Amino acid sequence: MTVRIASFFLVVILAACRSLFSPERPPNPPTGSATPEAPANAAPSPAVPAPTRQYRLGSAASALVTQAHVRAAAGDFPAATATLERALRIEPENPLAWIELGRVQLAAGNAAQADNMGHKALGLAAGDPNAQAAAWRLIADSLRVRGRNQEASMASARAETLLPR
Amino acid sequence: MFVTAIAAIAGIAVYAYYLDRSVTQQFQGRRWTLPAQVYAAPLELYVGAPLSMTDLCAELARLQYRATQKLDRPGTYRRQDDRIDIALRATRFTDEVRPAQVLSITAGVRSIEALRDSAGQDIPILRLDPLLIGSIFPTHGEDRIVVTPAEVPALLPAALKAVEDRKFDTHHGVDPEAVVRALWVDLRSRQIAQGGSTLTQQLVKSYFLNSRQTMGRKVREALMAIALEAHFTKSDLMNAYINEIYLGQDGDRAVHGFGLASQFYFGKPLAEVDLAELSLLVALVRGPSYYDPRHHPERALARRNLVLKLMADLKVISPQDAASAASRALGVTTRAAGAYYPSYLDFVRRTLRRDYPESDLTQEGLKIYTSLEPRAQDEAEQTLDRELARLERTRGPTSASLDGALVITAPASGDVIAIVGGRRIGYSGFNRALDAARPMGSVVKPFVYLTALETHRYNPASIVQDAPVDIRMSNGTHWRPLNFTRQTYGPVPLVRALAESMNLATVALGMDVGVTHVAQTLQRFGLERAPAQGPALLLGAVNATPLEVAQLYTGLANGGYRMPLRAVRTVISAAGQPLKAFPLELTPIAQPDVVFEVDQMLQQVIERGTGRPARAVLPADVVVVGKSGTTSDLRDSWFAGFSGSHLAVVWVGYDDNRPTGFTGAAAALAIWSRVLAGLGTTSWSAAMPESLTEVSIDYFTGLQIEGACANTNTIRIGVPVSTQLAKKPGCIAAVAPSAAERLAERLRAIIHQ
Repeated sequence: MTVRIASFFLVVILAACRSLFSPERPPNPPTGSATPEAPANAAPSPAVPAPTRQYRLGSAASALVTQAHVRAAAGDFPAATATLERALRIEPENPLAWIELGRVQLAAGNAAQADNMGHKALGLAAGDPNAQAAAWRLIADSLRVRGRNQEASMASARAETLLPR
Repeated sequence: MFVTAIAAIAGIAVYAYYLDRSVTQQFQGRRWTLPAQVYAAPLELYVGAPLSMTDLCAELARLQYRATQKLDRPGTYRRQDDRIDIALRATRFTDEVRPAQVLSITAGVRSIEALRDSAGQDIPILRLDPLLIGSIFPTHGEDRIVVTPAEVPALLPAALKAVEDRKFDTHHGVDPEAVVRALWVDLRSRQIAQGGSTLTQQLVKSYFLNSRQTMGRKVREALMAIALEAHFTKSDLMNAYINEIYLGQDGDRAVHGFGLASQFYFGKPLAEVDLAELSLLVALVRGPSYYDPRHHPERALARRNLVLKLMADLKVISPQDAASAASRALGVTTRAAGAYYPSYLDFVRRTLRRDYPESDLTQEGLKIYTSLEPRAQDEAEQTLDRELARLERTRGPTSASLDGALVITAPASGDVIAIVGGRRIGYSGFNRALDAARPMGSVVKPFVYLTALETHRYNPASIVQDAPVDIRMSNGTHWRPLNFTRQTYGPVPLVRALAESMNLATVALGMDVGVTHVAQTLQRFGLERAPAQGPALLLGAVNATPLEVAQLYTGLANGGYRMPLRAVRTVISAAGQPLKAFPLELTPIAQPDVVFEVDQMLQQVIERGTGRPARAVLPADVVVVGKSGTTSDLRDSWFAGFSGSHLAVVWVGYDDNRPTGFTGAAAALAIWSRVLAGLGTTSWSAAMPESLTEVSIDYFTGLQIEGACANTNTIRIGVPVSTQLAKKPGCIAAVAPSAAERLAERLRAIIHQ
C-alpha cells in the first residue's frame, strides 16, 4: 500500500508541472467544453497543429477531481475511481477527465488501463496541444512503469513537441 | 404415582432447560437473512446540470420527499417559484457518506442555475439519494430492511404496545389474564382464534415456529417466550419484533419488518412516517392480507382509525392528533407496475451471479449500486408501450401482440441506464432485451463498412457497385439477395450505400474484404458467439439480443474502444465496506479515425437515408447517428444508434417470429427517435481525428465538390488526409438533379419509410 501511495504522489508530482490547475493555462477559456475556432477550410497539419480548442473542466468536475485526489492520496483507489467516474459522466467528451482517471488507474497499479485512457484522451483532445501533451505524458508514464522505456521516451518526446517553450 | 410425578416434573424441567438453551442460543446469534438492496443511480446536482424544476420535483416525488412549509426533518422540501429547499436524508454512497443537510437549488427551464448550502455557500456538486429499486430475495421469499432502534419512530413501540400488548413492559413473556380470556373465547368457539399473544409470543411464533396453531404449539410458544424474556431486555425484544413481523405480500415476496413495510407502502424510510402512516403499519400486524390497503382500503382505513382510537384512549397521543390523523387518506403509493423495474433487476442479478453465490445475494445485506436512471427507464417504458400500441392500430387487429425491447446506455461510460424487456412492464417474464436473440439484419452493416475502411483501400467516398449478386454456395445452391427496393443503383459511394442500406453494394464490399474479416470485426466489438461465416452474414444473418447490439455499437460510439456494458457499479457489504467495483475499462478494438468515418456515414443514415423520419422527431440541431435493420419478411424491426449522451437499441417483433409488416425505419426508429427526444439527448460531436480531413463530396457520386459547386446534394465528410478524390468535372454551376431524378429519390424515401 505504501508503495502505491508513494507512486500516486510521484505520479501527481510528475503531472503537477502542467496540471489542470497550472497557471500556464490561458485565462478564461470556455468552461466544460471546447470551442472550435479554426476556419472551416484550414488544412490540418499533423506535425504542428494549430491550437483550435482549449479544454478545461467545469466546476462540478473540478470539485470531483479534487475529491478524488484526496481519496487517492489516502490510498483509497476504488473510491477515487468512483469519484472520477462521476466527473466523467458529467463531461465524457473532456480529455482531461479521462487523463485524471488514467492517472488514478496508474497509481492503483493498472498501467494498461492508464495507457488506454491516455489514448482515449488523445483522441478527444484533437486541436488542444496542452491536453494532447498531458495525454502523452500519461501514456509515457504508463509505459515506463511497465519497463517499456524506449516507447515511453518516444511518448514523452511527443508531449514535448506539442508544448511551446 | 409419586415416581411418575417426579419423572413428569423432571421431564418438563429437562424440556424447559432444552428450550431455554436452544431459544437463547438461536436468538443470541440471530441474523436475519437480508436480501441485497438494489439502488438506482443518484441524480447529480450541479450548476448547469440539465434538470428543470419539473425534473427535480419528479425525482423528489420518486424518492418520496414531502412538500412542507418548514423543513423540519430529512425527507422534506419546500418550493418557492424557481427555488427549492430540500432537507436531504443522510445517505451512504459508494465513495462517501453524506450527512443529512439542507440544500437550496435554483432551477431554470432547462438546467440548474444555483446550488447552495444552508449557509448560502455555493456547492459545486451534490447527489440526491439513490432510489431503492428492489431487492434480491431468496426463493422462500422473505424480504426485509433491518432498522436499528435509532431509526424507529418513538411512537411505534408505544403504538404496538397499545394495540397488541398493553402489559408488554411488565409481563414475563406471557400475559396470563389475556391467555385465560383468549382460552375462554377459543373454548366457546371450539377453535383456536387469534388473541392472547404477547408481542414476545408473536415474535417467537414468527421467528421460531411455523404458523400452525395447535395446543402443544401454544404451550411451546409460551415457554419459549418466557425463556426469551429471562435472557433479553424489553428493548431488544421490541426491536427484534419490529424487524421480524410479517406485514405484506408482493407476489413471491413476503414483506417482513416495519423498515421494509414503510418502503413498500409509503416509499420512504420508517423514520419519516407520520402518525397516520405509522398507525396503518401497526394496523397491518393483525392481518396483512385482510387489511391490505391496496386491495381492501376500507378495511385498512377502519382498522387504522381503530389503532388511532386505542392510542388516544391510552393517552399515547392526544385526541386531537388522533382525529386529525384519522381524517387523512391512507396515502399508500400506487406502486405503478414497473416501479420495481424487473427487466433491469434481471440484468443486475445475472451480472452478480457471476461473482456471488445466490446465498450471498439473498442473505448478506449487500447494497448494490447500479446505473439505472429512473427518468430514462420511465421514458423508455412509456414510449415503447405507446408506440407499439400506435403501430398496432395502424395494422388493425391481430391475434398476437406486437412486442419489443429497448436498451439505453451512456456510451462514454458503458453504463446501462434503462432496460425494457417487453411491453408488459412490471412483469418479470421473458426479458427480450437480454434473451431475444434475433437476426441483426442491416444493423450489422456498419461493421462491414468498418472492416472495409480498415483495409485502407476504401474511404467513405469510394465507389462500390450496387449490382445483381449471385454467389454459388458450397452446397451448390445460389444466393441471390435483392435490395429492399428490388432495384439496383449501380456505382454508389460507400456513404450512400450505407445510408440507404443497399444490400447488393454491401455484399460486394463485404465479399471484397472477406466475410471472415467481417466476422472477426464483430467479435472484436464484443459479439460473444462466432457467427456463421456465410455471405449472408454481410446482411445480418447473425443472431444478437438488443443488449448485445448495444455492446457492439458501444465501440462505434467510443472512438474504437470496447467497454463492458455495466449495470452494477459497486457492491457494498452490510457494514459499509466496499466489496466489489465494476470500474470502467477500455479495450482498443479499432482505429479511432476509421470509427469516426463510419460514424459520419451513419450520420447520413439520419440525414438522407433510412433514418430520415427521425429528423421530424428530434430537434433540428441535435446530431444523432444510427442504423436501421429489417429482416426477411419484416419479421424483426431494429434501430441502433447514439447521440452524444445516449446509445439506444430498439427491437420490435413478435415472439412467435411472424412478420410484423414494419421495417426498422417504420417501427423501431419511431420508438428510438422519440425516446431520445424525450430524454433531451445531446448531439454526437466527436472530435475529428487529426489523420482525417473534412471534404465536400456529392452524396450520389462521391465526387469531390469545391467552392461554388456545393448544392443540396453536397455533404461534408472526413476522409484520410492523403486521400485524392476524383473531382466533379466541369463544375461551374451547381448541377441540380433532373426532375426525374428528384422523383425517383422521393419514391425511394417513401418506400424506405
